[in-house]
Amino acid sequence: MSQILIQGGRVIDPGRGFDQTADVLIRDGVIAEIGSIPPSNQAKRIDADGCIVAPGLIDIHVHLREPDPEHDETVASGAAAAIEGGFTTICCMPNTHPPIDTAEMVEFVQHKAEQANRARVFVVGCATHQRRGERLAAIRSMAEVGAVAFSDDGDCVADASMMDHVLRTVHEVDRCFMQHCQEPTLTNGASMNAGVTATRLGLVGWPAMAEELIIERDVRLNRSIGCRYHAQHLSSGDSVQIIRRARTEGQPVTAEITPHHLLLTEDACDGYNTMAKMNPPLRTAGDIAQLKAGIADGTITILGTDHAPHPLHRKQTDFADAAFGIVGLESALPLYVKALIEDGVIDWPQMLAMMTANPAQLVGIDRLGLGSLTVGGPADLTVIDPELQWTILAEEFASPGRNCPFDGWQVKGRAIVTIVAGHPRQHRAPERAGAGA
Amino acid sequence: MPVAATDRRHLLALEGLPQGEILTLLEVATSLREAASGRISPLDRLAGRVIGNLFFEDSTRTRHSFSLAAIRLGADTLDLTGRASSVSKGETLLDTARTIEAMGVDALVIRSREAGVPAMIAEAVECSVINAGDGRHEHPTQGLIDLLTLQQRWGDFTDHRIAIVGDIAASRVARSAIHGLTTLGTDVLLVGPSTLVPRTFEQIAAGPGRVTVGHDLDEILPQVDAIMMLRVQFERHSPGAIADDYRARYGLTQARASRLQPNAPILHPGPVNRGLEIDAEVADDPERSVILDQVANGVAVRMAVLSRCLAQR
Repeated sequence: MSQILIQGGRVIDPGRGFDQTADVLIRDGVIAEIGSIPPSNQAKRIDADGCIVAPGLIDIHVHLREPDPEHDETVASGAAAAIEGGFTTICCMPNTHPPIDTAEMVEFVQHKAEQANRARVFVVGCATHQRRGERLAAIRSMAEVGAVAFSDDGDCVADASMMDHVLRTVHEVDRCFMQHCQEPTLTNGASMNAGVTATRLGLVGWPAMAEELIIERDVRLNRSIGCRYHAQHLSSGDSVQIIRRARTEGQPVTAEITPHHLLLTEDACDGYNTMAKMNPPLRTAGDIAQLKAGIADGTITILGTDHAPHPLHRKQTDFADAAFGIVGLESALPLYVKALIEDGVIDWPQMLAMMTANPAQLVGIDRLGLGSLTVGGPADLTVIDPELQWTILAEEFASPGRNCPFDGWQVKGRAIVTIVAGHPRQHRAPERAGAGA
Repeated sequence: MPVAATDRRHLLALEGLPQGEILTLLEVATSLREAASGRISPLDRLAGRVIGNLFFEDSTRTRHSFSLAAIRLGADTLDLTGRASSVSKGETLLDTARTIEAMGVDALVIRSREAGVPAMIAEAVECSVINAGDGRHEHPTQGLIDLLTLQQRWGDFTDHRIAIVGDIAASRVARSAIHGLTTLGTDVLLVGPSTLVPRTFEQIAAGPGRVTVGHDLDEILPQVDAIMMLRVQFERHSPGAIADDYRARYGLTQARASRLQPNAPILHPGPVNRGLEIDAEVADDPERSVILDQVANGVAVRMAVLSRCLAQR
């Protein structure tokens, strides 16, 4: 009978507004007790004094690149990177090669995740066949074997009639649709935010309107359908207004943010810095202010990473040719601390809600007891030292992806223990560990 | 780290190049005009040096102009064009540049389809890198040619105003001209349809000359001391961006040319679409058109640039 006693931490279970100093006892993979618990001989101890004990973090926007002949990442390496960053659960996007658009492909990834035995991995299936946006993928079959959401991420479902089919079908199977909001006819050849910097560098600009138009259209299409609609990686301040209005009307619309869209602007692209090439692109300080306001007032409810590993040669090329995106799993937590807590936008319980209960609810894994700390529920926990200062070093990532514009940044806050189903998968603070009393 | 604009080993852009540097380059180019013309025997100041022309995008004029400049300075040249080079075999641009550098070239003259390629290569190699046009970004030697041509007509740059007309958005020539001219104190009016001349151009240059965007060519004709017509780069735009009445609104016809100030020169970086952005009679007008002066200045300017960059080694 394996037991772990996490002692004296600030236990935050945002889903039920719990925030107290307490001990947590884990027994046989489940949470046995939360409260004041005397040490026993059977339980290994983790000293959580000064730390936050939270439900295991959940990232619903990750690219694991398997299957893919290039192997920029595998399910195993991505799930290991998640653990390093404090994430016990991740959802992987289907833009692999070939794409995840059948039940068999969903099961393939699930099997790889079981073999890896690191973070839990849930699969997001394609909304359309081969992500081509032309006809429906096998949404019902994928849902039956456990796909938790659907998306053509990397590409927008751009055709309005196709979008209508997708929303109806995803709603039928009671899942969530995640839109990559990009009107493609406005972004031909585009590689960074449309503005003075793009003009000066001679790069084709990518207007914020490309995102806003799609969200506006989808929200209208969905009004009579009522599908759970999730706008991925918001970049534009005006998108927040559209989401806010839809939520006020009571529509089941959610939105997600990434650390880079809160901490970097288009200025980072200057000098043709390909590490700052993102899809959607980095915008302006004005956009960041609106995005933060949207987080503060509860319009944006989910913090993601859009973890997108690429081999370095896909970044060490000219800006227009370079790959979009950066890795995120191992740097997201302190970057969100910097962008949201140090900046006074929200507090720890609010931030953790956006990394646990909210994403769990959106993809329906709250029903499995994930995203919360419930006695009798699965013991997925993350112990966070909120004051730990460290330096992000891309070369030390568990992910093979080194594409990180935050390399060398001094940050604060780190997951020091990540526990999945009662097993400590990562323990960065051996001095806090103790044998049974 | 990106290469600084003031690093004299390279010429990547006119943006950020100090006024004194630009004027010195023009002065050197002027002093090299006779040597550039081929009427005297080649100089030997770059004897034993090898200049590699690395052209990832087709170009005849610029490439030959650089080759002539190298030869007239006594250097050897190595020609690598997109199709002949290993780029088409999937080797990365950086690998290609490093391979050629390893053959012992002293300078790489680079033309690329995309913006930022010469800058990226300059970071990765030891030899000099000269930008011969990168996507929509800059074409600094063409910019210097335009400056030299204007200097020959104007004498000075301050208190002058030029209109650049046409496809500004896709034009590397325009960006280099804007930076060079505004640095020297000339005001630049950009004229064309809003689909090809975005407002953001008004903020790209540091001055002291100012950049203004306008859409009415007829209104500005009498107000400028020179006019530069640009080719419409149909290949760089969605077909819908260029209206049926483009020529009617922005073509430099004889009637329009007659409304220019009598001494205002007409420039065009070539190749010219006769009958589209400029009438044949205007392009060939020996009094007004300085298009052939621009070509003739090309070799001298490129000799000046090669001399400057390689003097640092």
